[in-house]
Amino acid sequence: MAEDITLIIDGVKLTVPEGTNVVDAARTVGIEIPVFCYHPRLRSVGMCRMCMVAVGIPRIDRDTGQCLLENNRPVISMFPRLQTACTTLVSPGMVVMTSTDEVKRAQRGILEFLLTSHPLDCPVCDKGGECPLQNLTMGWGPGTSRFEYHNKMHFEKPVPLGDLILLDRERCILCGRCVRFQDELADDPVLGFDLRGRDWHIISKSDPPFDSKFSGNTTDICPVGALTTTDFRFRSRVWELRSVPSLCIHCPVGCNVNLDMRHREVMRVMPRENLAVNDIWICDKGRFGQHFVESSERLTTPLMRRGDQLVQVSWEQAFETIAERFVAIQRKHGGTALAGIAGERLSNEDLYLFQRLFREVFGSNNLDHRIGTPGDLPDDDIGVMLGVGSGTSLVTLGKGTTVLVIGANPEEEAPVYLLHLHQMVKHGGELVVANVRPTKLDHSATLSLRYRPGTATQLVRGLLRVVLEEAGTKHLSQKTTGLAELRAALNHPMASVVSATGVSEDDIRAAAHTFLQAENAVIIYGAEAMAEGTALSQDLGSLALIAGKTGKANNGLLALLPWGNSRGVLDMGVRPDRGPGYAPLASAAKEREGAGGRKAAEGAVQRGLSAREMWNGVVEGRIRGMYLMGIDPASAYPATRTALEKVDFLVVQDMFLTPTAQMADVVLPAAAFAEREGTYTNAERRVQRVRPARPAPGDCRPDWAMVQGIAEAVLALLKGTDEEQGTAKEPRKKLKGKKREAPGGAETATESPGPSWGYLTASEVASEIAERVPGYQGIAYTRLANAASRGGWGRQPNESFYYGGTCYRNSEGVGIQYPAPAELSGAGFSLKPREVETTSASGGDTRYPFLVVTQRLLYDGDPFLRDSQLLAHVPAPYVAINPSDARSLGVQAGDRVRVASVAGVLELAARVSDEVPAGCVLIPSNLPGAPLSMVQTGLQTRVAVSKVGGRRE
Amino acid sequence: MISELLKGLQTTGRYLFRQPVTVQYPEVKRPVRERFRGRHELKRFANGLERCIGCSLCAAACPADAILVVPAENDPEHPTSPGERYAKIYEINMLRCIFCGYCEDACPTNAIVLEHQYELSFYSRWDAVYPKERLIVPPDQGYGEVPPVLKELGNKSPSPPAQMDL
Ligand code: SF4
Ligand code: SF4
Ligand code: SF4
Ligand code: SF4
Ligand code: FES
Repeated sequence: MAEDITLIIDGVKLTVPEGTNVVDAARTVGIEIPVFCYHPRLRSVGMCRMCMVAVGIPRIDRDTGQCLLENNRPVISMFPRLQTACTTLVSPGMVVMTSTDEVKRAQRGILEFLLTSHPLDCPVCDKGGECPLQNLTMGWGPGTSRFEYHNKMHFEKPVPLGDLILLDRERCILCGRCVRFQDELADDPVLGFDLRGRDWHIISKSDPPFDSKFSGNTTDICPVGALTTTDFRFRSRVWELRSVPSLCIHCPVGCNVNLDMRHREVMRVMPRENLAVNDIWICDKGRFGQHFVESSERLTTPLMRRGDQLVQVSWEQAFETIAERFVAIQRKHGGTALAGIAGERLSNEDLYLFQRLFREVFGSNNLDHRIGTPGDLPDDDIGVMLGVGSGTSLVTLGKGTTVLVIGANPEEEAPVYLLHLHQMVKHGGELVVANVRPTKLDHSATLSLRYRPGTATQLVRGLLRVVLEEAGTKHLSQKTTGLAELRAALNHPMASVVSATGVSEDDIRAAAHTFLQAENAVIIYGAEAMAEGTALSQDLGSLALIAGKTGKANNGLLALLPWGNSRGVLDMGVRPDRGPGYAPLASAAKEREGAGGRKAAEGAVQRGLSAREMWNGVVEGRIRGMYLMGIDPASAYPATRTALEKVDFLVVQDMFLTPTAQMADVVLPAAAFAEREGTYTNAERRVQRVRPARPAPGDCRPDWAMVQGIAEAVLALLKGTDEEQGTAKEPRKKLKGKKREAPGGAETATESPGPSWGYLTASEVASEIAERVPGYQGIAYTRLANAASRGGWGRQPNESFYYGGTCYRNSEGVGIQYPAPAELSGAGFSLKPREVETTSASGGDTRYPFLVVTQRLLYDGDPFLRDSQLLAHVPAPYVAINPSDARSLGVQAGDRVRVASVAGVLELAARVSDEVPAGCVLIPSNLPGAPLSMVQTGLQTRVAVSKVGGRRE
Repeated sequence: MISELLKGLQTTGRYLFRQPVTVQYPEVKRPVRERFRGRHELKRFANGLERCIGCSLCAAACPADAILVVPAENDPEHPTSPGERYAKIYEINMLRCIFCGYCEDACPTNAIVLEHQYELSFYSRWDAVYPKERLIVPPDQGYGEVPPVLKELGNKSPSPPAQMDL
């Protein structure tokens, strides 16, 4: 561990860890040393000379090696020249003076010099108001300049560095922060310096220019207004903005952001510091991809089908119709004739009530969150059971840590994790990346393994074998079963693993060894790994357990699920086979009865239908009514259209009139995440909260409120008709009277609605979740508002000399990570390996010679990208083919090719890339107009590829 | 007694032959002082471009929160104002304004000037919100003054937004 060093700054004695530089040391005692080029997250380079200080060290007596003393005080010999504080590391007994006349003169000189060519742009500059150059000039500057005004350097005003970032070369002070961010953190070395002297400027070296998913962050850390985003440019002055704490819901990282509002409009999205999640960064999708909220195509009123048309109706009409039709179906065909699918970017409150509606009111477990394509990933339970330990922070990992990334491409699936992993390697951690093809993370990896498609499970079993050989089960601390079966499954010679996976034995041993020896180890697995089936995650779990890397902070498994609340969806039990908190269905039903619910209908205890089964169920007539919340199967999986047309009654709840909504009988308009309260659970099981930033357009309501509206209407109807049957004619009760009705008052089975509905706010739903969902105990809104990392980083009052304009400090809550079951005692795990379900790359049908490797892209056909400039970054649908395969098919880059499987055909543009293994084709899963689901036959699909017609594109 | 009466009428008599102080408003309007602060005008540069560069400093300075500026980027082919930025929307709510003149002080281009027009009465509250069209002077007049900082510069070239003056 680093030793502590005591030094004196401006007469203040302080102790800081070894390796701290003088700027950071001074900051700990509140002494400000102005900086431009230094950024606490980047290497010090000493480029701007703003941080000049006078430094002295104790004089050492050569004979004794002791400090020379005079009057009992050490003799200090000052360096003859001023030193840059950002590159000077503290040393014992060092004396630093930050405000001598000499220092002040130097600071004034530097500022005067920086301003020689700086234009008088403050009134039109977007950085004005949060600009370190302004602040430092006010605080340390000379006030006047001796330079000739007309001698300023003039450049063409903004030149695009990329399509999202513009550079104003007149304003740039050449601190190199942007270049260093791209090189050191983003690992996209796309920026550089060009020319010299007064012509010195920043350029983009890549093609397409500024090709990085993190480009927006450079505008944050630029200490002047040289870098601006096309998104925020000239939209508002920063002091007019009202920052509303929120989250990005695009991916499982769950970055903390602030929505900077001017009146009702979102002006920009800025990162909000959270040391456990996103540090002070966000990716470009989070920054530029939130325009869907303000789209003019948002639905504003409930719509109902009249003939061929969807016409506007009132909420009462909508709810009553839905209730009547659903109740009619329930009466005639039973609750199990109703099914619901909810999207993975809805909040926990929505999802919890959604499953309550189905389980308690309809008595049906036909719930899912997937679309029902053949390639649907299996629900990931191991990932949450073991999970990463509470207190995990990928940001802080470094020496002593091994991260094993398998079948994942964090750049596309969870971009900000890429920054963290890259940083971890810089701090001395080990990164083992195992994939079928190269990804950007390979640059950072300390060990890259390339396995054959479909053999990840074998590779992991190879690792397991080495771990068992090296350490036996001495690290196994959890209660487990199935070790014997596991050992049996591993009982192949290593050579067979090597020949199957194509990874050398040395590499397998090295990977297993670093994993086992590390103090902390995390396994990250993504979509490509999950596509290999649950056998893989089961084995990854066993690997973590046997190596003793579970149940503590910075250890465990991290699954990169697809969307912002994919973890919450599983936690809330929107799935056919488990209740909230992963409770088995029977026990979940019992608990409901215990809580005053009615006796569970049979349908509520049996496993329900998964999305895939629902579509068949509709066609076979078993499913009559469907409720789709925040999900659009008609575009993501066109094969569902027949079912959507056939289903008797379809309710779609969405923000937009999606293709699915166009087929609906009733469409309910939903409020966006920025218009409501809610909590979301990220990949690390951190529950975080969003707050309303703007009023919802028109009549939109939060999703949970609409689910409640339906539930209340149904219950009112059931109650009303029961009374009718009992006591002759009595007018049917309107739902309004139902609010806040005490449970358990009524006698008949259908009348007792379980815990009452009638939630007034999302926080009431959240408190019920906290009460009733295992794991969520105590996660109330008030506790979510606690900000544990206050003042760590981020823009802080009066400290703009340090981080001006970088990001917002977090005073609104960093979320709560609930413990994984592995951390609680008594949880037992099975090590028993599962059958490998998938066919491997070899073998198979000669008519379909190619194996599809699917890839998730960050910028894909995501409907939430609408109105965003990122749409220009969404590639046209393509298939990537290995050069040798392309040659034998006679396909060249840009040709149109037909990709056909047993299930269907897609016509795509061909790309030729040696990153794709031979015998495979790489197809992004969700590009606009070409959903991969059209050809998928299962988790792994085999296809035939042929060239069509002439060359196009 | 008579003398007292006359004494009393003396003042009356004196004023009888003086210029009356009452002004027949609105037929007659008294001139206002040079530095009178009446309704704002948005000035132009001599080449007809708007002086206002949409910087919102006036809105920031305004103690009554009477000003709304929504900026936008100039079309380089047909600029509204010099430089890159102009005010797409510029509104002053005359019911809020206290005619303090801070906006005028804050403006870096001397675009907003409190002029001498003081007849501000409205039939509806919305009429009191003056949009840019009502504030801006016609293109061929009202060039306003060169900002003092530019005068000091003499013949040295100022920053692009203000170059028009010299
Ligand atoms: S563009 Fe900004 S961050 Fe980059 S070198 Fe210039 S001043 Fe520094
Ligand atoms: S990394 Fe994920 S959560 Fe973070 S900003 Fe990007 S898309 Fe949003
Ligand atoms: S005169 Fe004063 S109150 Fe009126 S708009 Fe200007 S700054 Fe605001
Ligand atoms: S009037 Fe002046 S201060 Fe106000 S926005 Fe225009 S240029 Fe800026
Ligand atoms: S030289 Fe130290 S901050 Fe730039």
